[in-house]
Amino acid sequence: MAGDTRVRGRPAFGRRRFLGRAALAAGGALLGAARRPVRAAYAAAPAGELRVSLPARIVGLDPMGAQAAEESVRVVSAHIFDTLVVHDPRTRGYRPALAVKWETPDPATWVFTLRPGVRFHDGGALTARDVKASLERMIAQKGPFAPLWAAIDSVDAPADAAVRIKTKTPVGTMLANLSLLSILPAAAMNNAGFFNRPVGSGPFRVASYRPDSELVLDANPGYWGPAPGVKTLRFRDIPEIAARVTALITGEIDLTYGLPPDQLATLRGNKDLHLQTTPSYRYYFIWMNVRRSPFTDKRVRQAMIYALDTQTMLTALLKGIARPMTAPIPSTVFGYAPQRPYGYDPARAKQLLAAAGHPGGFDTSMIWNPGSGPQDQEIAQALFSYWNAVGVRVKDAQAERAQWLDRLLKLDWDLDLQTNIVITGDADFVLRRLYTTQANRMGYANPTVDRALELAAESVDQDKRKVYYGQVCEILWDDAVGIYPFELLETYASRRAVRGFVPTPTFPTFTSVTVGR
Amino acid sequence: MSTYLGGRLVYALFVLWGSLTIVFVAVRVVPGDPAQMMIGASGTRQDVEALRHRLGLDQPVGAQYARYLAGAARLDFGQSLRLEEPAVQAVGERLPATALLAGSAMALAVATGLPLGIAAAIRIRSAVDYLVSVASLLGQSVPNFWLGIMFILVFARWLRWLPSAGIGGMRHLVLPALTLALLLIGVLTRLVRSGLLEVIGEDYVRSAYAKGLSRRAVIARHAVPNVLIPVVTVVGLQLGNLLAGAVIVETVFGWPGAGRLLVDAIGNRDYPVVQVAVLCITAGFILINLLVDVSYAYLDPRIRYR
Repeated sequence: MAGDTRVRGRPAFGRRRFLGRAALAAGGALLGAARRPVRAAYAAAPAGELRVSLPARIVGLDPMGAQAAEESVRVVSAHIFDTLVVHDPRTRGYRPALAVKWETPDPATWVFTLRPGVRFHDGGALTARDVKASLERMIAQKGPFAPLWAAIDSVDAPADAAVRIKTKTPVGTMLANLSLLSILPAAAMNNAGFFNRPVGSGPFRVASYRPDSELVLDANPGYWGPAPGVKTLRFRDIPEIAARVTALITGEIDLTYGLPPDQLATLRGNKDLHLQTTPSYRYYFIWMNVRRSPFTDKRVRQAMIYALDTQTMLTALLKGIARPMTAPIPSTVFGYAPQRPYGYDPARAKQLLAAAGHPGGFDTSMIWNPGSGPQDQEIAQALFSYWNAVGVRVKDAQAERAQWLDRLLKLDWDLDLQTNIVITGDADFVLRRLYTTQANRMGYANPTVDRALELAAESVDQDKRKVYYGQVCEILWDDAVGIYPFELLETYASRRAVRGFVPTPTFPTFTSVTVGR
Repeated sequence: MSTYLGGRLVYALFVLWGSLTIVFVAVRVVPGDPAQMMIGASGTRQDVEALRHRLGLDQPVGAQYARYLAGAARLDFGQSLRLEEPAVQAVGERLPATALLAGSAMALAVATGLPLGIAAAIRIRSAVDYLVSVASLLGQSVPNFWLGIMFILVFARWLRWLPSAGIGGMRHLVLPALTLALLLIGVLTRLVRSGLLEVIGEDYVRSAYAKGLSRRAVIARHAVPNVLIPVVTVVGLQLGNLLAGAVIVETVFGWPGAGRLLVDAIGNRDYPVVQVAVLCITAGFILINLLVDVSYAYLDPRIRYR
């Protein structure tokens, strides 16, 4: 404070007053410290900035390359780029985004009308030519989503705002597939280094990117949709769980997810944090190699299911992070049809094994990749002990990811434990890619299933598709092709200042989030 | 000296070529396929084959090796299979962070290990000596991932003195460098202590005292310089441990370094990145060892290179 500090003969802020205040402050601090040993030394996040830490690091910013299926890539792509339609988990349908309407003049032709006035972050107009170029690049990159477009015949841009996609056979999953197609600017997308600072039309622009460290996005002022709630969106890469949880507690980040149950328990008691749980598209399953004895016999496969007490596993190992699964696909997915649970019946399991010619049980092995799912070590151990109790002695053949994948794809295994995500939220993504005779992923060959999946994929009538998938769910469940014990829940932990975050079964988006004081 | 350096250069090139070849073969012999890893578990066999063809992995290994060597001669080390950028760029972006971490840890270790070792040696069997011995033993025994997490809990979560993860200013460097340095501090302290004890017993130290020099002058000018050669040797040799530790420390603290990249690349069978990273590590080793050898000439006037 400048100027004359004297008031009525005494200094306005003299030594006595200063010492008095200091003593009060010190006393207050001591009291405060005595009450709560920890005081926040970090200032609250500035208004307008959301700092998120994803469970896996952001491998790159190319939504069509080799890493396109990684969740971290899909999350950031949804903020930088737009798609023609957006998946709505509540309705299990699709909302218009870049495409305002669409029609199918015949089952093998789709015509999309584009939203007018959309601009890329560099100012260029988004037209049908960009959509055509993006789809062609997606196919040419031969990444994990390219096979979704195998039935494409041609895509053209008859007008600036019209895209026509012709397919060789009707494609019932067109909208699901399009929800994964980010639209890139045709002119710039092939430039060298484009994906170090990609340009899209989405609610956020790339401000800076330090690989393995931090991706900073800032709000796109010219966005066609509702403006984002925060000015800056930072994705911080903190792979170690203890460090990530600490960062959330100290306020270095505002939101994270993908935490194990013991960490969630710690966070539940924390008054600064808010936990939200949602069902997801992710689930655990155990395949049995149907071509290998003794799993060629359906009774043996069913016995393996009856031997498991999934309810106890849920309450003991997966509290708060999973719930029972009642079909070969999660209940959140389009095409789900609930099946009758097998239940825990070890006596029946032993009976079935005896009937199948294995009264004394048998020896077998299970491959799996540690670290690929929450509590997987614990689940594997529990499975071994339940099976052991009915006489099935399972050897633990865990392997690192590359070796596990190698054996899995060569069908060189007896049992396989893993997780999977139905990325599109549509049953086709999992059922047709993994359970057809041609796919041959666990040796199951059923022409009825093949036919139903083919018809479902080729039908543009969503109600009919649901019926086909219902049939397939029932057949796979009754034939005990696999064991489907749990569908996973996801819990998002955020600081109380974060408002407007709505978790859904699919990947998280932060466009409507605001950060208060 | 120039003949010596010339010889070392030829030797270095041979070692680089050898390590390149060994890694090239090793990484392809191990089961697991990069295309499979990239497509993941939901792809079909055709997808994997198509990707293998696009990446040139379906060609015979000999042809791949020849092509790679030809590229290496032009300093083109291929495209990262997973990151889809030049492998050199992927590693190069992250090397400075690892160098900063390893360099800081090394500097911290020398700045702490030397004085501690000297203090312990000159006050042998005192409380200081015992404390330093126990501390250095702990430093060598404690696993660094546990230590890193403990540091985060204590200094970031409870005391709120330091950030929990990531790269930034000096404050972000403290915990990772300390975690990484602790093993080396332990090693150096014990080395300096035992080396100095040996030197202090030598005749020339007795002569120096007899000349009337103060204790400080004797230790600083006659004892310590004779310990430096083994210290410098060990520091150079410990570079390997430092890099191994860096991988873990980088993961625990979310430090965007090349160590983490290398481990991920091995797990993903990203051949070009693994090859470039190992080449960089080899080159680093060669350089450090050369510096150590050359430093002998400065530390010990009796050594001369031709």
